[in-house]
Amino acid sequence: MTESMEVKKKISSNISRIASEGAGYVDARYYLDDSSETLLLYDGDLEANDTTVESGIGVRVLWEGAWGFAATSDPSCLDACFEKAAMNARTASRLVKVPLSMGAGEAVKGSYATPVEVDPFSVSLQDKLTFLTRLDNDLKEDFILKRMVYVNFQRKKVHFQNSEGSEINKDLVNVFGMIMAMALDSDGEMQRRSMSLYSTGDGTAGWEMVTNPELFSGHAARVRSELAELIKAEPLEYGKRSVILLPGQGHLQVHETIGHPLELDRILGYELSYAGGSFVDLDSFGKLRYGSDKLSVSSYGSIANSPGSFGFDDDGTPERAYRLIDRGILVNALTSRAMVNEANEKAGREVFQQSGGAARATSFYKAPIDRMTNINILPGNDGTEDDIIASTEDGIVVDNPVSWSIGSNREHFHFGCEIAWEVKNGEKTRVLRNPTYQGHTLEFYGSLSAVGDESTWKVELVNNCGKGEPNQVMQIGHGVPVVKFDDVITGERK
Amino acid sequence: MLDANIRKILMQVRDKAADEGIQATLKLHHEKSHLMRIGNNSVSLNTSENLVRLDIEVTDGRKQGSQTYLGAINDADTVQGIFDAAREKARMASPKTYDPIPDKVEVTINEDSQFDHELADIDPGIKAEAYREIIERLGEKYNYSGSWSSGSMEVYILTTANRNEVCHRGTDQLFTVVLKHTQAKWELTHNQTGWRASDFSVEKTINALSELISVYEENDGFKVEPGEYTVIFGASALSEIIAMAMYTGLSGRGWEEKQSWTAKFKPGDKILGENISVVDDPTNPKTFMFGFDMCGRKRDIFPLIADGEFMNLMYDSATAGKYGKKPTGHDTESPSIVMDTGFGHADPLEAVIDMGRVLYIPAIHYMNIPNRSKGIFTGSSRFNAVLVEDGKIVSPIFSSRVTDSFQNVLGNVKVISSVAESVNESNTYGRRAPVAMSVPSYIVSEGVKITDSADSF
Ligand SMILES: [Zn+2]
Repeated sequence: MTESMEVKKKISSNISRIASEGAGYVDARYYLDDSSETLLLYDGDLEANDTTVESGIGVRVLWEGAWGFAATSDPSCLDACFEKAAMNARTASRLVKVPLSMGAGEAVKGSYATPVEVDPFSVSLQDKLTFLTRLDNDLKEDFILKRMVYVNFQRKKVHFQNSEGSEINKDLVNVFGMIMAMALDSDGEMQRRSMSLYSTGDGTAGWEMVTNPELFSGHAARVRSELAELIKAEPLEYGKRSVILLPGQGHLQVHETIGHPLELDRILGYELSYAGGSFVDLDSFGKLRYGSDKLSVSSYGSIANSPGSFGFDDDGTPERAYRLIDRGILVNALTSRAMVNEANEKAGREVFQQSGGAARATSFYKAPIDRMTNINILPGNDGTEDDIIASTEDGIVVDNPVSWSIGSNREHFHFGCEIAWEVKNGEKTRVLRNPTYQGHTLEFYGSLSAVGDESTWKVELVNNCGKGEPNQVMQIGHGVPVVKFDDVITGERK
Repeated sequence: MLDANIRKILMQVRDKAADEGIQATLKLHHEKSHLMRIGNNSVSLNTSENLVRLDIEVTDGRKQGSQTYLGAINDADTVQGIFDAAREKARMASPKTYDPIPDKVEVTINEDSQFDHELADIDPGIKAEAYREIIERLGEKYNYSGSWSSGSMEVYILTTANRNEVCHRGTDQLFTVVLKHTQAKWELTHNQTGWRASDFSVEKTINALSELISVYEENDGFKVEPGEYTVIFGASALSEIIAMAMYTGLSGRGWEEKQSWTAKFKPGDKILGENISVVDDPTNPKTFMFGFDMCGRKRDIFPLIADGEFMNLMYDSATAGKYGKKPTGHDTESPSIVMDTGFGHADPLEAVIDMGRVLYIPAIHYMNIPNRSKGIFTGSSRFNAVLVEDGKIVSPIFSSRVTDSFQNVLGNVKVISSVAESVNESNTYGRRAPVAMSVPSYIVSEGVKITDSADSF
């Protein structure tokens, strides 16, 4: 028997043992491999050439309505780890006013593997560096002072078991990439222009994304030329105008002001001491007008090659594509089993029919919490980016975040972007620098006046969503078209 | 203390590498972390982690590579395997255009002056009981949430430059409780920090929150219209502003690369108000004291701002190598930033008694930097924020956004508290790396820009 088979067997017997002692639910996630490789060329110098390899087991025990969790990186300490998790749960159960429940669950058996053509970990470091150095060379130009080429590859091999007889194996691969160039503007202040690897929603998610010119490697010339315009540009003046978000910015708008406020644990008050709450409450579902009729938002969205697609969540729930917002009306949330049960109990009605499969943990040593998957604005009927610009009297087109700051209940926000293009009477006139815009979430989505068609839709990948205590960083996808909002406050008051 | 067997194995691998003329750094990090979360007046998670991480970095001339391992380390073969992986990565790396500065443990240091056995092995039941008492005494009609992180961490570093060793062992904790009114939706919070179990007391939290509860219960929220205000920033808000100002202004890399708000200044220039002095002081016990950085360099008192004057830039090893400067001991996740206290009354309300209408913003939520070159930050008020008139708290204020520059906010400070407060700035994203700052318990700043506000808390 191999070591991993032995560990899996020991996990089974420990789960049975703890369950037979009276636990309401027990699960374990065994990370056989959790590897991450980061390469960073900064002005051509290889400043990061790092690989992290982790392995271990995380155990969750529900005892009289309270969670205990423990993790170990040493498989020889497995029995003690189960014991610790059970003991933690028993201690937690001493202070329970609102008991948590996983409800009745069926055994789920299955496996999921991210579709990959070329495993990024199978490509030699030399080949990777040759490719990235060529990309760095593409960014060079006399006026450019700083250049960055960044990639990050992740591989997670996870075995899941729970006390309901579920057994799931996942083999996940994520690929992230970013290029950036910086130069001084006419005031001697540094401006930047960047581009991050994205997905079209179809296809595979391996090294081939990095070498695909459309998705990543073919954008250096555009980045250079937009930066050249940016450093000669005037700053954006304060005022109300239309704001057209390209997916490079729109995905973060969705992430911060639709994704986070719709996490059910946040809505129920479990994140107040760190991430914050939500302006949404249980009465909002089925009633709240979140945005104009043009706003429809989905979770998962059957996207093949995104870090927000992972087959089964960490409760063992299979991934499920569903709507969060339907033609402007809020209809669902990002949910896990225990949170759905608590919400329905609290509301005294069935607000949520089933778990949305959004329980996710970032590593073996963190417990799952409610997370985004792929949170997407569905494409609309307002044509191409050019069509949307043509229909705009006074506005700006903005791309890529520099800064984001959101109210604690996600009720208001302030974003800074890398670049803006002024739009006057249906035409892009000039580039403007230091663009910012701010708003109040419901008013802002209520002013959504144009949603681009399929041709404008891209899946942007997020590698750094922070949430939870202990803090966890999660990987997420956002499919978004070009979107336009009217009467938005832009720039800063003098 | 560090497992003797692991220590022996690491020294063996170091000796072998040194004999072969390889330049390398070995860093071991061991944490035992505990965290209890509270949600809806219950313990929502009670979690323990016991993790060992080993980082090995190899430098081969101008080429570098590193390997990090989190898993069981029981034998020399495992460590040698990690070493070989890092060595191979360095061999295959592309060379830099400058000479990296070799890591070197300058002197052997073995420090554990901030280690408390009682906190390292705290019974989680004590935490549950403390929350129970707080909930019962402040009233079960409110909704309580929070978290209490505690634990121990140990760092051990060896370099092939010599056989010196540095070892740090410490404990730390951060307690937070949030009290929310379920209908009115206002939220109050209280934090406690320290490295000893005895640093915590239920009484401190009860006292701090009791007073505010009546203000919030008896008065409606106040909507702050955009404009310029005199603002009392509490210790938590001030520590965020100072940390961000130092990070975006006084890091060597940001300045060398003209990205920082100080890019157009040089050491010796006045950049903040004359009453502002800031130092990185690893000997200050209100911070978590690390006597060395992760490259093995000794950390000493390091002036950053003196009487508003720009004193020094913090250079990490890579930046120093690239720009021909000396590293300053700032390859650390745990700096000890200390802002000097002033002469203000211990009670901020006394300090503003003659100032008319003042906003008291104790903490800033989700601060970010929309314009680094101009040093502009933005963030919103949240917990415990109140309107003060003639030194008296009048009403709570709704969520209000501050968007202003470091130079304006720290250039127009009228009062600085005479009391220093320790603010825990740790996060638990990666490995346990406790960080705390010491700042005055408040400052009063004039002409602060409020740029937006909600009509809810
Ligand atoms: Zn996020």
